[in-house]
Amino acid sequence: MFFYYLDLAWRSIKKTPMLSALMIMAISIGIGITITTLNIYKMMSTNPAGEKSGKLFAVQLWSQGPDAWDRFDPQITYQDGFNLLKSDIPRLQTPMFRTGGAVQTEDPAFLPVLQSRVRVTNNDFFPMFGLEFQYGQAWDDSVDQDARYEVVLTDELNKTLFAGKNSVGKTIYFNAKPYQVVGVLKPWAPSPNYYDLNNGAFGNVDTLFVPYSLAPIEEYGSWGNTNGWNYESINNYAQRLTSEKHWTQFWVQLDTPEQVAEYRQWVGQYIEQQKKLGRFGSPKADVQLSDVDQWLAINKVVPEDNKVLVGLSVLFLIVCLVNMLGLLLSKFLRRAPEIGVRRAIGASQGQIFAQHMVEVSLMGLFGGLLGLAWAWGSLMLLTKKFDLESSLTHLDTSMWLIAPMIAILAAVVAGIYPAWRVCTTNPSVYLKSQ
Amino acid sequence: MLSMKNISKVFKTDLVETHALRDFNLEVNEGEFVAVTGPSGSGKTTFLNIAGLLEGFTHGDYFLDGINVSNLSDNKSAAVRNEKIGFIFQGFNLIPDLNLAENIEVPLRYRGFSAKERKRRVEQALEQVGLGARMKHLPTQLSGGQQQRVAIARALAGEPRFLLADEPTGNLDSLMARQVMELLENINQSGTTIIMVTHDPELARRAQRNIQIVDGQVCDFTMYQPNAARSASHSSVDKLVANAQG
Ligand SMILES: Nc1ncnc2c1ncn2[C@@H]1O[C@H](COP(=O)(O)OP(=O)(O)O)[C@@H](O)[C@H]1O
Ligand SMILES: [Mg+2]
Repeated sequence: MFFYYLDLAWRSIKKTPMLSALMIMAISIGIGITITTLNIYKMMSTNPAGEKSGKLFAVQLWSQGPDAWDRFDPQITYQDGFNLLKSDIPRLQTPMFRTGGAVQTEDPAFLPVLQSRVRVTNNDFFPMFGLEFQYGQAWDDSVDQDARYEVVLTDELNKTLFAGKNSVGKTIYFNAKPYQVVGVLKPWAPSPNYYDLNNGAFGNVDTLFVPYSLAPIEEYGSWGNTNGWNYESINNYAQRLTSEKHWTQFWVQLDTPEQVAEYRQWVGQYIEQQKKLGRFGSPKADVQLSDVDQWLAINKVVPEDNKVLVGLSVLFLIVCLVNMLGLLLSKFLRRAPEIGVRRAIGASQGQIFAQHMVEVSLMGLFGGLLGLAWAWGSLMLLTKKFDLESSLTHLDTSMWLIAPMIAILAAVVAGIYPAWRVCTTNPSVYLKSQ
Repeated sequence: MLSMKNISKVFKTDLVETHALRDFNLEVNEGEFVAVTGPSGSGKTTFLNIAGLLEGFTHGDYFLDGINVSNLSDNKSAAVRNEKIGFIFQGFNLIPDLNLAENIEVPLRYRGFSAKERKRRVEQALEQVGLGARMKHLPTQLSGGQQQRVAIARALAGEPRFLLADEPTGNLDSLMARQVMELLENINQSGTTIIMVTHDPELARRAQRNIQIVDGQVCDFTMYQPNAARSASHSSVDKLVANAQG
């Protein structure tokens, strides 16, 4: 029966090509705009951590004094990061911050390249955030204890420096110091780059990784944010490391709710201990653990504007649907005599209704596919004209399913009333008028 | 097989109430060929639509094959229409976009027959009305008489036991009308009960039984009479009476 209805629907669409084109156009424009905004929204709000999302926690400490800012700062102090590492509760844990500098190979012909996205971190970073290696591996644990000059390159930087060849064992120069390459990552670009949102959530993934243990030696500058709440005179790097300035991020992996509770308690004790040393002066001194979803929400990765935009585009879709409803009503009612005949010779109301639903669904499907093309085009345009981050304007594969589904659903919603009108009209009315 | 008891039907519009049928009583037996005549507006079509379950009614009871069909759900009445009843209309009412075979197939589709069974029945029905070679023609490519024969084939394809025809020859010239009438007679002879509304006293006379509807009631019915002249004068007297009443 479905195929019979499909055949009838196709004939009906062909019979009134202009009207059908108009309706399909109406849906497609509504869908095109909705899918465009929805795609951007989705790209902004995806949680790239996948199944680990609920196990990774950003650690925030209310370490500031009573008259400082009235919220948890996204970062913590270096000394707190250093101390937190002493807990043996998290399976993995890493302090980190961003730096930058010139990178060069041993090839004298190679001109130095500036890398502004260099991550200073320990080797837990890689398993924690799911980075995989195409060559070599992370530096081993001993490097995090006793600093050695070792680095991990992303696929991207390895292509720049070594044309993508296995560079493990090679030497690179970072800020004129030699480092040995121990690993090259597979392509990796979480979007948003949730592990550090300080410099923007999109298109901001690091390209080079250096050991955290080198920070006091190499005195890497922070290329991210530094927040202070009191006056401290800082004249050298050692003072920076012991200051109350917030400039490092800290993440832990806690696999069970028990571990989370245990860790929270452990940090609570740490805070109590620090209070005795005269730190954590605020009565609100506390720890906040946020899993990835919470972290993205706290950092407002999806701007409020974007939600408004999605809402507006849905409203626009509704306007398109109201138009379509009117067109459908006139089209279906014009066909009422034929429907009268069908009813007279044995079609039930349900069968007539189903026939019309199949017809509107088919139009919805066409509208959805066309709308997808509009969305693809407008996202291209946004990338080109407005320089939007391409990780945001890439048409997500899920939209291939979502667009036709919304379109069909929308068409069905628009079609219910017209279809109901034709199938409930008494067939004898049309037969008599003949 | 058809039995209507005290049926009345009132159409209400904003301004007027029309009593299309009032205390309407009729029994039709299996295999009969009944011709219905009566002045325009007397309720013939309304009666046929009620008989065909296309329309409900205000009061009374309607039994079809001994079953009370007065208050069937839409699904059930659609099924009864599909299986037991065939319709033929004055305006043929073929679906213009469908070719002859597809038109005849429509009721079979709704009944859920397999493609093979549909094909068999379509061919058989077209053969029966003498249009076997024209399966792929569109209705507009046929003359009125041919179109009506297709409509009859459509009604026959479901092998109904009960054929309702509302002025089936009203739009046809007398030659074509006679052909259609002969076709209906053949169908009746093979056992199908037929109720036919007609304006043509000549055709009515050929039926086994004539009834007349005047003012929404069965005014008089005459069993089949071999003496055609007597029957004609009889019905013209009735017409005079009816006009006087109207
Ligand atoms: N749907 C309707 N609404 C209102 N009045 C109707 C409707 N259908 C028929 N009627 C009225 O009912 C009466 C009988 O109509 P009908 O059965 O079509 O007569 P006939 O077929 O004998 O010419 C007429 O007066 C007609 O105007
Ligand atoms: Mg009539």
